[in-house]
Amino acid sequence: MLSLVPLRVLIVDDHERFRATAGRALEAEGWSVVGEAADGAGALAAVEEIDADVLLLDVGLPDMSGVDVAAAVRDRHPELAVVLVSTQDAADYHELVAASGARGFLSKAELSGAALQAMVAGPA
Amino acid sequence: MHHGADAAPAAPGDGGDPAELGWRAAQARHRAMLEAALDCIVTMDHQGRVVEFNPAAEATFGYRSEEAVGREMAELIVPPDLRERHRAGLARYLADGHPRMLDQRIEVEAMRRDGSMMPVELTITRIEVPGPAIFTAYIRDITERHRAETELRASRARVVEAGYEARRRIERDLHDGAQQQLVAVTMTLRMVRTRIEQGNAAGALEMLEEASGDLSDAISELRELARGIHPAVLTEGGLEPALRGLVQRSAVPALLTDAPQERFAPTAEAAIYYAVAEALTNVARHARAQSVEVEVAVTDGRLWAEVRDDGVGGASEGSGTGLRGLSDRLAVLDGGLTVDSPPGAGTKVRVEVPCGS
Repeated sequence: MLSLVPLRVLIVDDHERFRATAGRALEAEGWSVVGEAADGAGALAAVEEIDADVLLLDVGLPDMSGVDVAAAVRDRHPELAVVLVSTQDAADYHELVAASGARGFLSKAELSGAALQAMVAGPA
Repeated sequence: MHHGADAAPAAPGDGGDPAELGWRAAQARHRAMLEAALDCIVTMDHQGRVVEFNPAAEATFGYRSEEAVGREMAELIVPPDLRERHRAGLARYLADGHPRMLDQRIEVEAMRRDGSMMPVELTITRIEVPGPAIFTAYIRDITERHRAETELRASRARVVEAGYEARRRIERDLHDGAQQQLVAVTMTLRMVRTRIEQGNAAGALEMLEEASGDLSDAISELRELARGIHPAVLTEGGLEPALRGLVQRSAVPALLTDAPQERFAPTAEAAIYYAVAEALTNVARHARAQSVEVEVAVTDGRLWAEVRDDGVGGASEGSGTGLRGLSDRLAVLDGGLTVDSPPGAGTKVRVEVPCGS
């Protein structure tokens, strides 16, 4: 179910291909992609400069772990919903996700506008 | 030697007496054995003084026999911090007769005349003669053995670490390559469904084209990766077709001048294949060469390969070329690697392994 005002998402992943494909898929389902970054430093800078509702964050970034980025963002922007993604599945990342303060985890294969919305709209 | 109960030691007399001759011959033999022994033989009396010091001991410790005999052995060859223990040990044995250090192989430090230390292997035995105790120490300098053991341990550690590193690289290649492509296919196919549901057939077909391209890319990635892990053509066809493939894919124009037709043990074939692959990678990365030749053949039961380029030379085992890792893996098989790379004059890397069968 689409919200009346498009939800704004920042996409952070070191694979340009994923950023493009995910961006296109999310926009097709009514999301608005407001920014991108390819590493942890870029993610932290984007969060400061761009207003967004959701930060879609790859776990395996080249300069720092997505989990650490999530923890840093949680402290400074508690209103920003952080969702971790990876090609691996949730089973491997359970405790890390919980400790990081992220809203949840999605494997890239199950990522869709609807799945993201359900995760973000759910209980905080 | 046993001339009755007379206490005075019988001196070797004037010849003629067969027992006398037998005794002198035995003495001569024993002396010759001491002189010829490779190990140091040092004999010590119950007061800890040197009685005999053979030529090997002279060479190892740096004292002439005349300088050593009569001196306290502890002062000559025992490191200062171990001397009290040595003296106490001797005193204790003389007091209670219980051997603690005798007739066992012991590794300790010993001291040369110039004060430098060396690791030695030593065995002390008591010579069974009537009268006060006499001890003989057989001492072997094991500096070289220690060095070889240390190098072997280091080499094994490097090989194990290289194995882990190779696995991490495979995981990374799978993650960054094929996995990403397959994820993209999944998302694209989801969009195909959305477009079909929206009645957008043209859009759906466009996405299917894209998914198809992604799948081809994924298959190519996996094929490359599998070839890097272990090329099927090597297992199925042996060195000649596998080397031909390497030469064809070489970034620098390459020529295979000779390759054996027969098969060898899989470990030998793999060792040679990867050595040539590694050498060709180095040529592409470092050599600035126009061309490279690869030659593989068998000589005297050794399977060998040479990779010769006409580039800038100056290569060595150290410089981030992976040659040391290659050298370690070849050493495991009793093989070896040599690099001939005069600056400005091209590089020749030669590897060999025993080919047994």
